[in-house]
Amino acid sequence: MKTTSLKDWPKVYRRLKGMRGMSEEERILLARSLAATPDERWNIHETFLRSHGLFSHWQRKAYGFKW
Amino acid sequence: MVGMSAAILQGVPATTTDTDIWVDLPERQYVRLMDLVIRQGGTPMARTLYGLSDGSVVNFIFSMTGLKKFPDEYAKAVELMWNGLKVRVLPLARIYKSKHDSAREKDLAHLPLLRRVMRGQARTKPGSRE
Repeated sequence: MKTTSLKDWPKVYRRLKGMRGMSEEERILLARSLAATPDERWNIHETFLRSHGLFSHWQRKAYGFKW
Repeated sequence: MVGMSAAILQGVPATTTDTDIWVDLPERQYVRLMDLVIRQGGTPMARTLYGLSDGSVVNFIFSMTGLKKFPDEYAKAVELMWNGLKVRVLPLARIYKSKHDSAREKDLAHLPLLRRVMRGQARTKPGSRE
């Protein structure tokens, strides 16, 4: 498969359709992750941490994490 | 890059709170890395762990469990573009091997997810059956 980006996830999803042991939702999430570029993958990860106020080490410390 | 940050860049839908960077230096020379980070506004949190000025955390790794020596692994690393830079990341299969062999609870917990993504990658490679 050529280089893809997040918007191409339906194409990737079609290739994952036969994968056993996964629900449709899990396949969609995996397809999105595989289709994304490294920058898009990192943004998803960072956005997730930021949405929980856990991105920076000082935020995490305030939350009770060691770092 | 190694560990879960490298895995995320290769499509593993996970999260991590630090970026592990494997360096080809003897651990006794950690001061060189500390100087480099401090010059750029970072803060030491432990001997090999640093908070950077943007709030992210970097952990320097001097040896990896279950893997070959740095030059051997580096030669087979995956090169990708990230933040406008070419970076080399440990391939998922090698991340898997290292986590499997280190056998720490938090590493073993990642193995099923890594296996799943590797299966997915195999299906989306050119020439694979749809």
